[in-house]
Amino acid sequence: MAGSIRGSDLAEHAASLERPASPLRARRWNVVRRAARARLAPFGAAVMLVAVLVALTAPLLAPYDPLAQNLGNTLARPGRAHLLGTDSVGRDVLSRVIWGTRVSLLAGLVAVAIAVIAGSLFGIVAGYCGGRIDGLVMRLMDAVLSFPPLVLALALGAVLGAGLVGVLIALGVVYTPTFARLMRGQVLAIIARDFVEAARALGAPGWRIAWRHVVPNAINPIIVQASLSVAFAILAEAALSFLGLGIQPPQASWGSMINAGRGYLQQAPWIVFGPGAALFVTVVGLNFVGDAVRDALDPRTRG
Amino acid sequence: MTLDVKLGIKPGLAESWQQPDAKTVVFKLRRGVKFHDGTDFNAEAARFNFNRMKTEPKSVRKGEVASIDSVDVVDASTIKLNLKRPDAALLATLTDRAGMMVSPKVVQERGSELERNAKGAGTGPFEFVEWVKDDHILIKRNESYWNKQGGPYLDRIRYRPIPDDTVKLQSLQTGEIDVMDYVQPRDVAAVKADRNVVVVDVPSLADFAYQLNHMRPPFATRALRQAVALSLDLDQIVKGVWLNVGVPANGPIPPTSWAYDKSIPPIKRDLARARAKLAEGGQPNGFTFTMTTNNIPINVQEAEVIQAQLREAGITMKIKLADSATLIADGNNKNFEMISYQWSGRPDPDGNTYQFYKTTQGTSLNWSGISHPQIDALLDRTREVSSQAERRKLFSDLTKLLQEELPMVFIIHPIEPKAFSPKVQGYEPIPDGMMRFKDVWLQ
Amino acid sequence: MGRLVLRRLGSTVPVLLLVTAGVFLLLHLTPGDPIDVMMAESVDVTVKENLRRELGLDRPLYVQYATWMGRLLKADLGRSIRNGEPVIENVSRRLRPSLELALCAMAISLMIAFPLGIVCAVRRNTPIDRAGATFAVVGICMPNFLLALLLIFLFGVTLRWLPISGYTDPLDEPWNGLRSLALPAVTLGLALAAVVTRTLRSSLLEALAEDYVRTARAKGLSEWRVIWSHALKNALIPVVTVLGLQLGTLIGGAVITEYVFALPGVGRLVVDAVFARDYPLVQGVVLLIAVGFIVSNLIVDVLYGWIDPRIRSR
Repeated sequence: MAGSIRGSDLAEHAASLERPASPLRARRWNVVRRAARARLAPFGAAVMLVAVLVALTAPLLAPYDPLAQNLGNTLARPGRAHLLGTDSVGRDVLSRVIWGTRVSLLAGLVAVAIAVIAGSLFGIVAGYCGGRIDGLVMRLMDAVLSFPPLVLALALGAVLGAGLVGVLIALGVVYTPTFARLMRGQVLAIIARDFVEAARALGAPGWRIAWRHVVPNAINPIIVQASLSVAFAILAEAALSFLGLGIQPPQASWGSMINAGRGYLQQAPWIVFGPGAALFVTVVGLNFVGDAVRDALDPRTRG
Repeated sequence: MTLDVKLGIKPGLAESWQQPDAKTVVFKLRRGVKFHDGTDFNAEAARFNFNRMKTEPKSVRKGEVASIDSVDVVDASTIKLNLKRPDAALLATLTDRAGMMVSPKVVQERGSELERNAKGAGTGPFEFVEWVKDDHILIKRNESYWNKQGGPYLDRIRYRPIPDDTVKLQSLQTGEIDVMDYVQPRDVAAVKADRNVVVVDVPSLADFAYQLNHMRPPFATRALRQAVALSLDLDQIVKGVWLNVGVPANGPIPPTSWAYDKSIPPIKRDLARARAKLAEGGQPNGFTFTMTTNNIPINVQEAEVIQAQLREAGITMKIKLADSATLIADGNNKNFEMISYQWSGRPDPDGNTYQFYKTTQGTSLNWSGISHPQIDALLDRTREVSSQAERRKLFSDLTKLLQEELPMVFIIHPIEPKAFSPKVQGYEPIPDGMMRFKDVWLQ
Repeated sequence: MGRLVLRRLGSTVPVLLLVTAGVFLLLHLTPGDPIDVMMAESVDVTVKENLRRELGLDRPLYVQYATWMGRLLKADLGRSIRNGEPVIENVSRRLRPSLELALCAMAISLMIAFPLGIVCAVRRNTPIDRAGATFAVVGICMPNFLLALLLIFLFGVTLRWLPISGYTDPLDEPWNGLRSLALPAVTLGLALAAVVTRTLRSSLLEALAEDYVRTARAKGLSEWRVIWSHALKNALIPVVTVLGLQLGTLIGGAVITEYVFALPGVGRLVVDAVFARDYPLVQGVVLLIAVGFIVSNLIVDVLYGWIDPRIRSR
């Protein structure tokens, strides 16, 4: 559920229920799903492309300096001079939304990257070592999972100091268990395979087995999960900056812009709905892309 | 005692008072007043209260009554306060929380429960009914209130905490609530135009400022502090951020106070002088520092505007947002360079000055760490002297000195606009920030 | 079966230990302490020290942790520092609004998802189905703070049909109570509806493809009868589990909704407590939420294992 940080869990749960049991039905299902998604995946890809382009070309694309204040022209309506109007200190909303793309995309990518790296390490260690260590690591992951994510983010934010870094680390921590479980499952599945036994019998050291065999096979599900998680990480970053954590002024992220504009809803709703629309469209597009990636890579749904 | 609209001290529970000498205050207490639980309010009860304020381990009023050495009961309705030192600010303090008397019987019976259940404890026009935490406080009319002139007229009053300002305003506009304690500056214009709502501009006693840390660079250097002060355009801040819901500040004393000196202007922006000060302070090309402020929209806005203003002088300011707990911790530990400080204000100018600028060891509200012998002398003198005219002169001198030494950079004395449903009649705003409903009635 | 439950219960103990240690450590690392926050405008250092000593805040961390854990074993969650009341009372007082909100949100989500999910399954691959799928994605991707603001803007500012703040207990005043919960419940319910629609649709499709359904169709029963009497019952199981899992999140996690609509719920309680550094309250609530999460997961897994022996875990 959007706005709660672990939306990915729920969507995954729902998605997992869509996987049918028998292969025959699988084929029929995929026809259905592919047909339903046929129009959506290109849209998603287009959105992502636009987002990345906007983020990269922000300095060129933004009509105004996002930090340039103009106290004589505050809360201006959208018009020719300012396509999305101005905010409470006269800054151009459109330019801030454009520059905000960088923050949001970066937040999503970095948070998920942290989670993937940390989670994978935990997962590999747990899966490969087994026994007590496996138990300990998995208990740790369960503990993180049962911790209310917002409290975790707030507390970590206070400890690590205000700023984007604190939020990214907090989000990384929150998403780590998902990837840890995933990686561990992959490791266990692969270890059971014969060629690993053979490699071990031949005396190959553990880490090399992990590197050569486990990782390449695990990459697919990780990518699938990661692409879904990025969308939710972006939402989570927006939610946290809505609550006041994260990016420090005068920089803006979409969430902090919505928060700042909240008090002006009656007089100047464009301050809220400009970045709001950008956030929504980006997340929707990323979601479609994530679904498409899963369709393409997940062996279970492959026709 | 109580305050009138002009912040004059008027009789309340104390009918009259005299000061035979600088270290003694004799109060003649009103007779026939009862606490809400039926017990009498008398000299014994008053003494009990003062002792409780001084000696109770968890007493937050200790600092306010620190100058009182002992309290004598002269007769059933007269008490004598013996002071350790002259304290010209004491009377004004006793119009506030320190002067609010509670029933000794309730205190003794209820102990720490009193924090949550104040039934029968007070003497005012309304008495406590219930407190449902985070939902509401309910009070009802005191039928046996001693002041028969006028109210109380209202049957019951319910206080509801609503954390979101927009929601608060909309609740008023839809009629869900009748009174709103504070209208955000950004909503004032719209609310004033709304015919379903009445807005009263209450000038407050508050001063909003930023404390500068004198104990570490860069602001250990006075010239650099002055450079910052000279780079600020207070008019632009008050107009652009606060939308003129307030006036630029020349110091800690607000215009509502008798001690305010309007001949001292707020520091005017002067970029040329600012740059000269930068050079004088050894940073001709500007310098960088961090400002810590609270994570509230208007604070953030003000910080951003200040950041832009300082940039024009070549000073680079970074903004660090913190929640209240972190802000207070940083302030108390002097772990900041420039930090936001919003003081709600006290009726006597002493409350806006002494504890902030007097040299103090250890943790205190003197976050800047300023220690200036002349300022200390002035502050002490304002407490010793009793003539208001003399004190006013002293506070003027203090204000001028503060503009030089800059323990704080003063920004604004805000106005507190309060909004009412047109049904609410008879409200008299008093600048100390407390809303009194004794003479209020509903049409 | 029983062994599975016991094993799972056994593994929750170390998890809870980790959670308690984690929240304790994290909280005490944050700058500031509750006394400073409570007594911000006061200077009296001795009073503050007295308070700290009374609350045991001056002792070394491991002593404080041991004290708290000791109390915990006696089922005593301690008292909130801010208002001195037992943590349990603080939580239970806030539980009712949160619970009512959650239930209303679920009711709304079912009201939307039930017909929508069935229609999408029955008319799959038609424009209606695609619209349903789009709605599902929109619901999941819409940030709930944005949705809340949108609803306030539409219903509060423009139309003025519903109250946009405050909480009236529906058990006290049914009509006003439900009105006060309407907008927040819709905010939470729409997103939930999106997921439930998808879940219902896919599980219904699966149920409809089962053999016994084909048999029923062959017998000549009408399509509606088939759906209603046979397929739907089995299709509802995943839906119920999804809703059940969400109950925990809704209660502790609807913070933003509670803030924006000024509802005195559990989510706001714990966030305010973090800001006020009210250690016992935060620690207690986090523990309760963690326990709730673990227990609800366990129940769901057990139910699944009981219902479908095929997917009993190893």
